[in-house]
Amino acid sequence: MKISIDWLKELVDLKAPIDEVIRLLPLRTIGTKEITHDFIELDMKGYNRADLLSMRGVAYEITAITDSKVTFSEPKENEYIWMGQNLPETPVKVGDQELSPLYCIAKITGLKVEPSSKKWVKKLIDSGIRTVNNIADVTNLVMLEYGQPSHAFDAAKVKGSVGVRLAQKDERMTTLDGKIRNFTETDLLITDGDGPIGLAGVMGGKESEITDTTTEILLEVAIFDPKTIRKTANRLALPSEASTRFLHGLTKTRAFQALNALIGMYQELGGKLEAISIVDNLEEKEKVVILTQEKINSLIGIDIPPTDVELFLNKIGFKLASHMTSGNVVWEVTVPYWRLDIEIEADLIEEVARMYGYEKIPPQKLRGKLPEKIDQSLFDLLYNLKTKLVGLGLTEVQTYSFYSSKTINDLRSSDRKLCLRLTINDLVKIANPISSETEYLRNDIWPNLLEKTAENLKYFKEVVVFEIGKAYQAKPQLQEEYRLSMLLAKDSTDPTPELYQIAQEALKHLRGEPWLLGGGKPDGNEYFHPTRFATLEKDGKEVGFVAEIHPRIANKFGIEKRVAVLEIKI
Amino acid sequence: MEERIEKIKTEYQNRIQQAQTLKELDEVFLALFGKTGEITLLPKDFSSLSVEDKKIVGPLFNQVKIELEKAIEERRNEVREESYKKLETEKFSLQLPKLQAKERKGHLHPLTQLLQETIEAFEKLGFQQFDAPHIDSDYYNFEVLNIPEGHPARNLWDTFYLDPYNLGSQPGRMLLRTHTSNSQIRAMKQLGTPLRIMSIGRCFRYEAVDARHEHTLDQFEIVYVDKKVNMANLQYLSEYFLKTILGKDIKARMRPKYYPFVEPGAGVDGLCLFCKGKGCRVCGGAGWLELAGAGMIHPTVLKNGGIDPNEYSGIAWGFGPLRVAMLKYGIEDVRSFLSGDLRFLEKF
Repeated sequence: MKISIDWLKELVDLKAPIDEVIRLLPLRTIGTKEITHDFIELDMKGYNRADLLSMRGVAYEITAITDSKVTFSEPKENEYIWMGQNLPETPVKVGDQELSPLYCIAKITGLKVEPSSKKWVKKLIDSGIRTVNNIADVTNLVMLEYGQPSHAFDAAKVKGSVGVRLAQKDERMTTLDGKIRNFTETDLLITDGDGPIGLAGVMGGKESEITDTTTEILLEVAIFDPKTIRKTANRLALPSEASTRFLHGLTKTRAFQALNALIGMYQELGGKLEAISIVDNLEEKEKVVILTQEKINSLIGIDIPPTDVELFLNKIGFKLASHMTSGNVVWEVTVPYWRLDIEIEADLIEEVARMYGYEKIPPQKLRGKLPEKIDQSLFDLLYNLKTKLVGLGLTEVQTYSFYSSKTINDLRSSDRKLCLRLTINDLVKIANPISSETEYLRNDIWPNLLEKTAENLKYFKEVVVFEIGKAYQAKPQLQEEYRLSMLLAKDSTDPTPELYQIAQEALKHLRGEPWLLGGGKPDGNEYFHPTRFATLEKDGKEVGFVAEIHPRIANKFGIEKRVAVLEIKI
Repeated sequence: MEERIEKIKTEYQNRIQQAQTLKELDEVFLALFGKTGEITLLPKDFSSLSVEDKKIVGPLFNQVKIELEKAIEERRNEVREESYKKLETEKFSLQLPKLQAKERKGHLHPLTQLLQETIEAFEKLGFQQFDAPHIDSDYYNFEVLNIPEGHPARNLWDTFYLDPYNLGSQPGRMLLRTHTSNSQIRAMKQLGTPLRIMSIGRCFRYEAVDARHEHTLDQFEIVYVDKKVNMANLQYLSEYFLKTILGKDIKARMRPKYYPFVEPGAGVDGLCLFCKGKGCRVCGGAGWLELAGAGMIHPTVLKNGGIDPNEYSGIAWGFGPLRVAMLKYGIEDVRSFLSGDLRFLEKF
């Protein structure tokens, strides 16, 4: 959300310089991103503050942290333009009230498409939205101020009654961006007598778009089910300013205020409200949350006077009624309608803490009994192994948990079926890899060490490294386990005994006699030297191996030296 | 000219076929394609040719060039395959007399060093390590942490999901953990209260890699649950960490921050290491650096862990070792950590 500084000054009679607002926002409210002379961008990623997606919500917040006042007042219900006008209805049919609990359509005539005024264009540009024309810009300006998206259809191009329903199979429509969209049965559509004219909450249709010749519009203000909008916006990769606001949640109060403001602005452009339909199945109740003095103080860790609690919460729009229970103040806190994120006592305590100032909370040492000891032997072993190996002259490397595409290719045998010690189907595969470099999880660590060794040998005569980390496999069952993998590459015709002796030395102090040497390599394994391979066994089970890498594989990786590896389960 | 080319071809094809070692082949390669190699120098004489001749000689030359390159490559593989056959006769013994151990200097990875320092510091406060899996379910990574499906906060953690085809699982259910917080409920259920654990290790994010972003990253997190645990304790833990790891003069500052599994939530800033608060290039003039994320464990999460939120409260506190290591050791590129590049690792 980009806050236009000019616009903010219109909505708030600021009692603090803008630099103070910029300083206080991250300390009291939310982190900021880019800041220029024209706008302050709030870091909304993942945030749950729907109210901060509107200039009015931001205005309330900034008045609270700077002790200022807003310049606007909210209209009462009986002050809405359409009240008491006895206007005809526009034909509307809402097929699914749960997916569209509030749906309003207003018909406005007598409009003329023109460029927007300079002032409007500046507000839009500050907010990061481009100007289209006066009719479309009104919808964006109102969305920015009230947080409520809306859409204007060219009334001349809408046939019959407007409907809201889920898509049927094989329905399609060209969206405003000119792309043909095929719908699935989970997409919520706006329709007319001929078919879809808009994708609810995501994007309008091309056919009913406002053009230079538009004089009459059907103005839509609605609240749709966030989950449905999210599904569609994600599936079509169409996140928008509007869908973001649907996802964060909307309120009926703001929706009506927005509708009122939209009609008002169109009237200023010379438009006339001809007809209106409001299909309202949305119940909006005041939320009351209980807050106790005892819980505030115990969770924040300092005593905050009850008068301060009331002051802080009043500033940001909460109403409080208090009573005493056994020497402890208890408040019934009424949540302002625009704070959809407030649900429980802890939410209110955060409000108190941030208005008090997180940075003023002093440090307090931990108290209480220490928990019972839990087994730390695995962690001790992992660290001791590392220091022991480093002491023996090895350098610790860490590599990705994935196999690179190059490693997978280099390890495929000539018939391309076998991959590594398992077939490729036994590897854990990522459903949505960023690229082929993050498609498969490693089921051994040594191939990654081999890959890095090829690079290191460009600069070093010998490489002696180890990695302790996890290896993963999908079959026979999904599994991850800690492994130690060691590698020695040097000018020698037989580096394996040296590596084996280092391993024995490292492990003997740590786990007693760790393994017995087992048999030779399994048939068909082309990765290792035909004779220089032995399994490592413990309690009759295979736990690892020591081997020389087959020179053919080493050569494929670009290594001309002999390479020994040892890998063992920890 | 055509004859010359044919002559080179015949002569070198013979030499290539007769070569018995890679070294000989390297010599042949140089004689053809080196700085003064025959193939390298030949085109210099083309300028004297007529246009007609050039039309014939040009393609012929290119063809021969490719053929010779290919012949060397093929012979190289043959020589290699020959040498691989001899491997069958190589002896295998690990029971050699004690070798003279070569003196080498090894190096611990910088992340291991930073984490060990951190672990030892928090052990002094009674925290113990607790492990959680890298491959996990949607349930432990999101659901029980108060992040139900469809929650806007899921966008904070762009997630790698596992392909379900060889797992027999539902699509979108199994994933690579996006944070070490997948340990929280497991620790609460297994260990109960009072609880002081450290959860450390690799996490994964669907994120394009550049000098500041990695898809594979470590996290360090502590979970602390007891009676009357509060935000002032959180401030203590933040200061304790920063002063121990980054220096006695590095103050901590809390700010409001939203994470769905804590309430209140806090971002933890440290005084900028480089300018000590004056404002510099590294901190973007702010004087502070965001170094950790934390908060009071959400009552729903405590309940999911079998702990009564009316009786107990808790702190979850974590930092990104990659970022802190970059600041502490002056590392410019986050990709260095997993590069495996010994030129980088030997500095530590």
